[in-house]
Amino acid sequence: MGNKVNEIKRIVQDTKSLPTLPGIVLKISKLAEDDKSSVNEIARLISSDHILSAKVLKLVNSPFYGFSGRVSTISNALILLGVNVIRSLALSSSIFEIMEKSVVGLWEHSFGAAVAANTIAKILQLPDAEEISTAALLHDIGKAIIKIKLEEDYNQLISIIKEKDISMIDAEHEFLGTGHPEIGEWIARTWFLPEKLIEPIACHHNVKKSVIHKTKTAAVHLADILVKASDFGFSGDDIVPRIQTEAWDKLDLNEKILEEIVQETEDRLIEAKNFSLEIQTSGEKQS
Amino acid sequence: MQKIPLALAFEGMILAQEIKNPDNPEGPPLCGKGVVLSSSLIERLNKIGVQSITVEGHPVKIEGEKTLDEELSSLDYRFRKVKDDPSMKILREIYRVQIIKAKN
Ligand SMILES: [Fe+2]
Ligand SMILES: [Fe+2]
Repeated sequence: MGNKVNEIKRIVQDTKSLPTLPGIVLKISKLAEDDKSSVNEIARLISSDHILSAKVLKLVNSPFYGFSGRVSTISNALILLGVNVIRSLALSSSIFEIMEKSVVGLWEHSFGAAVAANTIAKILQLPDAEEISTAALLHDIGKAIIKIKLEEDYNQLISIIKEKDISMIDAEHEFLGTGHPEIGEWIARTWFLPEKLIEPIACHHNVKKSVIHKTKTAAVHLADILVKASDFGFSGDDIVPRIQTEAWDKLDLNEKILEEIVQETEDRLIEAKNFSLEIQTSGEKQS
Repeated sequence: MQKIPLALAFEGMILAQEIKNPDNPEGPPLCGKGVVLSSSLIERLNKIGVQSITVEGHPVKIEGEKTLDEELSSLDYRFRKVKDDPSMKILREIYRVQIIKAKN
């Protein structure tokens, strides 16, 4: 079993064969981290890439972020939403492409989780709602990596899940000796993503493990459960896991607030379904 | 609410979401939420090139779509591993109400 884990780690960390983030996204990330860089500098950088600009604007105006139809230029987007949000958007638009290449169901699951996470963040008035959405979009990136890099193992996992009626994460531990949260964390580190995105990826099935970004992790954990409960997309199994006590307490949930979150999420998922189809077909046209 | 192709729209349906102008999605909407469709309005939307609209309730049966009973038993099936968890019972109940509402 240990050999298998090492093999997976080697494959995942072999950066040459990995899906890469475009250089421009990494540059934006660096600029955003640097307090000295100005909004104009970042706007100029994004605007220099027309395809990225278009994608970012499309996302800003999508139900995904809920600013529907109000933002038409990158500088406007930056002023309205701030540097961190735009960084997330640039990152998300690249992740879309990687996820799209894996499995449609998984992509929809991730996209739905992002919508749910955004709704959770807004209703609970959590800080950094957009980063929480991005973290949710990325939460199962490890599954996409398994599917892209270890297709045979992925298919094996799917049959184990069906045969034993267990969840993807349990099947992974049984068959791979590791899980998609760990694999996701490895790839997130090779992409130099910030810790506030890494922790929700690494801990969304075990909120207790999260140290610094527990609220974000709890929000992503809940978002994952809600999309599964809603039967939106396909994450590899059809088992709704329980809301972990740590998450329930951290988010200070109760029946009334949960009801509000579910209602709003369901409404936005209807829109999201259409948007998801739209972005998939527009992607086909481009390639 | 239900999103339907404009071809299946008929008089009396109520818009659950505003209709965006297909030529200028970022501009003002063609029609606001809550508007009751008339046949002349449907015709006008058709001329403008609107493809689909979102209406209240669930007026159109789509082939392959699950019935209420099927939806509810598939909900129970998805929650099969957390049947005894008190907070998951609450969550399942919330979804049950949502499903029933969406079907009416
Ligand atoms: Fe997961
Ligand atoms: Fe997930």
